[in-house]
Amino acid sequence: MSSEVDAESADLECELDNVQGMVDALSSVRWKRHQDAVIELSEHGIVLVVEESSCVQAKVYLQKELFVRYEYSAQARVRFGVSLGLFVDSLNTFSRPAHSSTIEIRYPGPDMQLLLRSVDSLDACIYAEIRTRIPETISWDYNFEPAGSTPLSFTVKSAALKEAIDDLEWPGSSIQVSLQPAPPVVTFRGEGHGDLQIDFMYYANTDLLTAFHCDREESHRYKYKFLRATTSNIPSSVIKENRGSKLTIGRGGMLKVQHLVSVAKQSNSHSHADSAGYLQPSRIAYIEFFVKPEVDDDNAND
Amino acid sequence: MKFKAFLTDNGISLLEKRFLPALDKMGKICHLYLTRDHAFFLHNLLNGDGIQSIAQFRKEALFDDYRISSQNEDRIAFAVDLSLLHRALRSVVTIYAEFGADGGAAAVPPSNRLQIKLVKKLPPHSQQAMPFLTFETKGYKSAVIQDVPISKPLSRTDVLELQAALDSAQDLPQTLVQVPDMNQLQTFVDRMKHVGDPISMSISKCGDLHLQISTTLITLGAEFRKLLVIGEKAQVPAEDRNLTAQSRSERAILRGDAMSVQVSVKHFSKSLQCHLAKPDCAFYGIAPQGACLTVIFQFFIPGTHQTDKSISLHCRLPVLDPGSG
Repeated sequence: MSSEVDAESADLECELDNVQGMVDALSSVRWKRHQDAVIELSEHGIVLVVEESSCVQAKVYLQKELFVRYEYSAQARVRFGVSLGLFVDSLNTFSRPAHSSTIEIRYPGPDMQLLLRSVDSLDACIYAEIRTRIPETISWDYNFEPAGSTPLSFTVKSAALKEAIDDLEWPGSSIQVSLQPAPPVVTFRGEGHGDLQIDFMYYANTDLLTAFHCDREESHRYKYKFLRATTSNIPSSVIKENRGSKLTIGRGGMLKVQHLVSVAKQSNSHSHADSAGYLQPSRIAYIEFFVKPEVDDDNAND
Repeated sequence: MKFKAFLTDNGISLLEKRFLPALDKMGKICHLYLTRDHAFFLHNLLNGDGIQSIAQFRKEALFDDYRISSQNEDRIAFAVDLSLLHRALRSVVTIYAEFGADGGAAAVPPSNRLQIKLVKKLPPHSQQAMPFLTFETKGYKSAVIQDVPISKPLSRTDVLELQAALDSAQDLPQTLVQVPDMNQLQTFVDRMKHVGDPISMSISKCGDLHLQISTTLITLGAEFRKLLVIGEKAQVPAEDRNLTAQSRSERAILRGDAMSVQVSVKHFSKSLQCHLAKPDCAFYGIAPQGACLTVIFQFFIPGTHQTDKSISLHCRLPVLDPGSG
């Protein structure tokens, strides 16, 4: 097999100098062992989408600014399916602890593969060829729309959100999320084998709940396993950098959860305090989850 | 059948800190084979499958006052559980080190020594005497005896078989390449493990080491070039320099300059665990006819670049497919 593919034939050829950041970003939407993902390439960057039972969808946005080099030459957007687990596991082999490693990503290979190759060293090279497939027709867009004139949203420390959702595991399969304006509070309530209620009071702890927008009372129920998917694999860098996650309730009670994951080049100094994210604000991957509410008997909140 | 010796300080640190942790990763049970001049720790030499590992020490590397006698040319072999052996040794060493605690090793009085011997004892609640490997020492305030249960000593025929297996495991591959960085390779292989099994390894006379895991969904590989070669060497043809790793190794195999075998990822990863024994270098090679993948670890005399010939460690990984070459 002649593997010297000429560069002109590739739709995408890009280089990334922080593999671990990409592993972190993609891992954060990996809530099951076997997950199929759809990747969309465009001149703006790479978007990866995963979906489960038409109830929860997650997207990872890797804009072209995250890459050291990003050359996109196809006319239209390109989409293909790939196994998320294999993609993350193989990316992970490129990442070396305490080293920043640079990889080249190309698509398509001679057999429509996604090609990865390390480019740091001339005498040692790691490569991967990942089989892609024609993507299944997934509902690409969950049509998230704000409900009413003012958005219902709050921003909470990612670590606290994860902890709260982890704690809600025991009461049961359905979690009620409520927002109320006076006094401003966000409530997570699980009922089942027992009751557990976790309140985030806006005035009591402004460090925890950093923003709160709510002009009316609203409450929806979500399946625990889908809510759990939104925080089950939050990368440790998000916790270390003390980042926040933004939650918005849209029309019909659809919940949007947004995380920020740093894909900045690892600095050689070992200080986390001035995490490179602040120095390179553009080098953030955006993660979005959309969770549909459980359908009630009456469609009160339409 | 008698065996009695004293472990030297160097021997204690070699076993406790380096070899026992490494060998324990190869497999829980191994054969300890003692001859007039050598002590061997042997894994999987008598049963066919599994990774074979052979650690050999000249008696002076571990012991002084080494006394052995048996009716089988003074050779004794038995099976022992390495984690028990390691635990017993650690426990004995803490007592043994009590003397040294204040003033360093020099303060250990000559009377304080760590003895190791074979004994037969009646275990509690049993009518029948069982063989043990016993460690014995005394400290400042206390004395300790640790009995490690061992198998019945191997019969004369089994010992002969073990010796024959050992002899046949000594042949060297024609070409060996030096592994650049074992820790890095270990991290890499540990991550590769998630992707698939088996792993194919090709080693060329030009100093290329190429690893690849290939399944229907993914091909993942790594190539290390320009490694130090021991044995038969060859030059990389100029036209091969800018190829991909896969084509380069395929062409080298066709030319007869490289061999390739498939081994289990698990075995390969285990072989890398040997870096716990803190070898100074490691070499990979493929035995003639692709019979097995051989890893040879080299130990230097401390402070020099000269091979310490009193210690040797190598592993042989069974090949899953006859392979090419």
